Amino acid sequence: MFKNEEMEINMGPQHPSTHGVLRLKLKLDGEIIRHCRPVIGYLHRGVEKICENKTFFQGQVWTDRMDYCSAVANNLGWAEAVEKLFGITVPRRAKYIRTMLNEYNRLASHLIWLATHALDIGAMTVFLYAFREREAVLDLFEAFCGARLTTTAFRIGGLREDLPPGFEKMARTFQARFLACIDEYETLLTENRIWKKRTIGVGILKADDAIAMGVTGPVLRAAGVPYDIRKAFPYAAYDEMEFAIPTKPEADTYARYLVRLEEMRQSHRIINQCLDGLPEGPVMAKLPKILRAEVNEVYHPTECPKGELGYYLVGEKGSTNPYRFHVRAPGFINLQALPMMVEGTLVADVIATIGTLDVVLGEIDR
Amino acid sequence: MENNPNSEPETQAGPCAYDLKAAPNRQVVLPKTVPLPSLKLWRAEQEAAAAAEAAKWQKTLADYEAAKAKAEAEGKDAPKPPVRPVAKPDANDMKFPAPAPATDPDLLRLQEVLGDKVEEAFQQAGELTCQVAREAVQEALRLCRDDDALHYEMLADETATHYPAAKDFAFSVVYHLTSIRRRKRMRLRILIPDGFEPDTATTVYPTANWLEREVWDMLGIRFSGHPDMTRILCPEGWEGHALRKEYPVLGLGQREIDFREDRSGMLNRRALEKAGFQSLNLNPPKAE
Repeated sequence: MFKNEEMEINMGPQHPSTHGVLRLKLKLDGEIIRHCRPVIGYLHRGVEKICENKTFFQGQVWTDRMDYCSAVANNLGWAEAVEKLFGITVPRRAKYIRTMLNEYNRLASHLIWLATHALDIGAMTVFLYAFREREAVLDLFEAFCGARLTTTAFRIGGLREDLPPGFEKMARTFQARFLACIDEYETLLTENRIWKKRTIGVGILKADDAIAMGVTGPVLRAAGVPYDIRKAFPYAAYDEMEFAIPTKPEADTYARYLVRLEEMRQSHRIINQCLDGLPEGPVMAKLPKILRAEVNEVYHPTECPKGELGYYLVGEKGSTNPYRFHVRAPGFINLQALPMMVEGTLVADVIATIGTLDVVLGEIDR
Repeated sequence: MENNPNSEPETQAGPCAYDLKAAPNRQVVLPKTVPLPSLKLWRAEQEAAAAAEAAKWQKTLADYEAAKAKAEAEGKDAPKPPVRPVAKPDANDMKFPAPAPATDPDLLRLQEVLGDKVEEAFQQAGELTCQVAREAVQEALRLCRDDDALHYEMLADETATHYPAAKDFAFSVVYHLTSIRRRKRMRLRILIPDGFEPDTATTVYPTANWLEREVWDMLGIRFSGHPDMTRILCPEGWEGHALRKEYPVLGLGQREIDFREDRSGMLNRRALEKAGFQSLNLNPPKAE
């Protein structure tokens, strides 16, 4: 009756908690996971190949479709990588607006993470609350560029348009109420007994393992490593901003939750600084109509809400297209550490661990 | 049967029977240049350009002298002397970051320890690049991680580029290293011919596992010593490597698939397509 043998099951790719089309091959001993192998690629569209056959201006549109929860951060990475490749200087006002929108994007991304992560674990209410605020952020994107999800917000060399009239008022209204909203989520979750039982001590990834596996972003910071590309290798206007890097030593799911909530507060702080100190001036650099590359290669890392988003570009002399384009997707690298985090734990903890890694399969599969 | 003109020609055996010539939109224009960023190549190019310009100017001068002599002989007015063209100042906010010789202590340290194994080291656009001999890649990676003066504890990215126009190599493989403690980044590069299997980086940086699987999947470079050299984004059994330059953007084409049942009307649609009709399925889907 009690047979001691391992059972192999597939989790996904149609499982609702896998956030898209992630498939995990699990080997189970009872309810304990002995082996886990992620299988990805179900959403592979060949973005890199496509971008190599598009011009530098057209390529940005494809970056929206990679990490669709943080399209603005992807746009920023692309725009800055191309600017680095060509040596373009961006006006200061454009840098500030980019920084502000990037932080709004971090809020939107973290809110959708909080909503779905809590929903996976069983806290339904947070989902509705977080989406309420996310709507307000998406309204801001809509006011700025007309799109809510696939923004293509920036242009190479700056911005297409300055901020629309009334944007600052909208932003200030949001800023005035957002901190109270974070406190509201905290009243629902932080001291919630069920939440703590489901997250404390679950999905542990210690600092040494995280660095060896290349894990970045809030997952690394929740292991106590204060590595944030906004501070370590500043880009956009982050060198002029004051903010803290929240870290926690526990390296579990609960610590990552606290780190991300604190990051939202810091983003709020950065946005306030951007709104207060917004310099006057043009928002677009003077550029030729057609950008023709020289032989050059750049790797431009940015701090996407999920971690280090790196764009690798190689330019060919006289060509309007990148010769080679590669994305270092944070989700791709972070997901690699999943087996390390779940082996030896229970099946229910896999759900919490996938949620805490904040995977978006659009960028993992590209 | 063979004389019947309506019978379809038999498709070639095997799954690789793609007729790329019959599909003009799948034909590929291979790149003609080798855009390998390098200080040596850049300098050679600059010198060649300067020499070409000087030669052009000399020719203009010679032409002028000839025209002048001719005009004097014919008793006409001498032609205007030529003016050497001056490059117009660029009004754009754009300055190409030219490669510069290595002055960073990290690159010097690598050169000092690895000696001849460092083929080239230069800086461009604020990034450090060190090209090492392809056999020494694991040694260089280990040195970067373990040396106290270097201490690159994280591998941020690993990828490769296909250069079909190059003569003595086919791919460049680049490793982007990050030092969290020292806030520095560096790029290691090796150049390999087609078919060469470089040593895996997974023994030094476990991150490289999936990255090298991706390189194998997309560019067809196998890494020797890799624990799990399988495809990652494309399914097993996929033909070709999509990010090679000879791979068409539209893909190699659709394979014949045997549908057990024509539930979605796919076969019907294909038959219509072959007959020259628009590929729209106007029939309602069949019930399960």
